[in-house]
Amino acid sequence: MITVDKLVSHYGTHKVLDGVSFEVKKGEIFMIIGGSGCGKSTLLKQMCGLLKPTSGHIMYRGRDLAAMDEEEMSAMQRTIGIAFQSSGLFNSMTVGENVAMPMREFGGVDPQLIDELVRYKLSLVGLAHAQHLMPSELSGGMRKRAGLARAIALDPDLVYFDEPSAGLDPIMAAGLDHMILKLKSLLQTTFVIVTHELDSIRLAADRILMLDLGEVVFCGTLEEAAASQVDRLRQFFDRRADDFIVQRNISL
Amino acid sequence: MSECIVLCPEILDQDGGAAMYKALLKQWSRRNTSLILDFSATESIDSFGGAWIIKASGFARRKDVPFSWKGQRESLCDFLEMLAPSLQSSPPEAARSPGPLESLGALILSVKDETGEFISLCVDTIYWTLIAPFEGRGFRFNAFMDEVHEMGVRAVRIVCLMNFLLGLIIAMLSAKQVESFGIQIYVANLIFIGFARELAAIMTAVVVSARSGAAIAAELATMTVQEEIDALRGMGISPAQYLVTPKLLAMLVVLPCLATLGLISGVLGGAVWGIFVLGFRPFMWYNQTLESAAMDDIMQGMLKTFFFAIAIVMIGCHNGFRVKGGSRGVGLMTTRAVVMDIFSLICIDIVFAVIFYYILG
Ligand SMILES: Nc1ncnc2c1ncn2[C@@H]1O[C@H](COP(=O)(O)OP(=O)(O)OP(=O)(O)O)[C@@H](O)[C@H]1O
Ligand SMILES: [Mg+2]
Repeated sequence: MITVDKLVSHYGTHKVLDGVSFEVKKGEIFMIIGGSGCGKSTLLKQMCGLLKPTSGHIMYRGRDLAAMDEEEMSAMQRTIGIAFQSSGLFNSMTVGENVAMPMREFGGVDPQLIDELVRYKLSLVGLAHAQHLMPSELSGGMRKRAGLARAIALDPDLVYFDEPSAGLDPIMAAGLDHMILKLKSLLQTTFVIVTHELDSIRLAADRILMLDLGEVVFCGTLEEAAASQVDRLRQFFDRRADDFIVQRNISL
Repeated sequence: MSECIVLCPEILDQDGGAAMYKALLKQWSRRNTSLILDFSATESIDSFGGAWIIKASGFARRKDVPFSWKGQRESLCDFLEMLAPSLQSSPPEAARSPGPLESLGALILSVKDETGEFISLCVDTIYWTLIAPFEGRGFRFNAFMDEVHEMGVRAVRIVCLMNFLLGLIIAMLSAKQVESFGIQIYVANLIFIGFARELAAIMTAVVVSARSGAAIAAELATMTVQEEIDALRGMGISPAQYLVTPKLLAMLVVLPCLATLGLISGVLGGAVWGIFVLGFRPFMWYNQTLESAAMDDIMQGMLKTFFFAIAIVMIGCHNGFRVKGGSRGVGLMTTRAVVMDIFSLICIDIVFAVIFYYILG
């Protein structure tokens, strides 16, 4: 579905991604993991065309994102749903209006159905009661879930989630994982998810990509990850701190 | 006693759902005592289909009859299960719009609240500006210098230009009016007195409130929205000390200076018209201006600028701290701050006009 080939990305002169290559297949749950600040959010923004690569290619259904013109790009972006790390809700609208926004804007939805559809999406993320609240009246985790509801508003083929479960309680986070699994099996939705949650990874991930210092250190299935001897990956799964920190603690 | 059984189409998507709902409305009769959807033919459902099912259940709720389904295949169970929570509850009520008395009460309360907040901000600021530095408690000199640069130095050009052009305009206007009396030389007096007493101060204050008043409100509002103010309070630092005081002191220093520059530019603007267009010799215009220059007039104008400075900063900060509701709130509060700023400038000016022209003079 999406192929990333030798992607290099800069912010100004600061190189964030350095030759990243991998492939996401249709209907799978693809999780991206890695340390804080290693470029995961940047990679997602590249994959939905919000940032331009310095070099390398990103192919979506066989088309290079860089070669798309404006119209093609926005048509492409309508078939994907994005939930950003900081939710990206529109502050001037209620939660319900936020979810209804793509339905109204992109057309194709029967206007008398929008209300029910909004309620359905909100109840999927457990926010049915918050429909008429403003985003500024929500807690951090609620805002996150409202962002998810907006991302899946139009049954997209491909969904990008940036740390969906950060700030959620374990029960909610588990519920979210199950929802993702169900959407995948029901609608063959493809998910690309950035996460730090070991439990979600174990439960839902089909394949995992690990980034470190802007490079891919591991890409493969859960079983391969369990068998892999890549140090960074082992450290991640065993929740082991970096050696220098451990040593300093001992010397204290 | 009868059931209304609606057979759902093979593919329950947006169109299939619409057909289903239509069939439901057609089949429904008053004698029906329950509504059942028959999924025996249905192979796939998407979210739109789900929304139509919710709509059907809403219909059943309005008619006050039980709603259920039957005949679903294994593959649909998961989907219907996910749908269940949104079927049980009726949609949440939107907030009711209040009646006239309620709105009046809310207005009075909000004015009272706002006044209270404003007064407490002022008290805090007075403490941190006038008292705390002498108790040896922190004064942020670097922040003060930054603000002086931002509010003052960078506003010099626009303030001078505006006053210069205004001087030119007033000279044109008044020279035309007195042309037939042959007393155009007195335009020099008019310009000087006008700028010293009113125009330089008010014009400069308007320019500064549009520049810095808006900037203060937007900055503090954004900080409030992003919980930076809470972070500051959480560290035990008073926002009045950390943010308001440097701005207030800077403005108190800067605005009189800018108004002085404004006075000079305005008089220059008038002189340019008098000398180059009306054709007076430079030293004549110069002498006339000096003759009319009285310290009293200048003092009147300068005294006002201190009050203008306080109004601009305090209103900007007050509105910044009061922001609610994210980015939209920031825009609203910034607008409000500038409007209140300019209105308060005029109010202060009126008070001084009454004092100077009727009570003292
Ligand atoms: N808008 C930006 N301008 C400049 N540099 C940026 C910008 N956004 C991110 N960076 C830099 O790019 C690097 C990667 O950032 P990114 O947000 O992709 O990290 P991340 O992997 O998502 O981290 P986290 O898990 O904390 O969200 C960081 O070093 C950051 O400093
Ligand atoms: Mg990130």
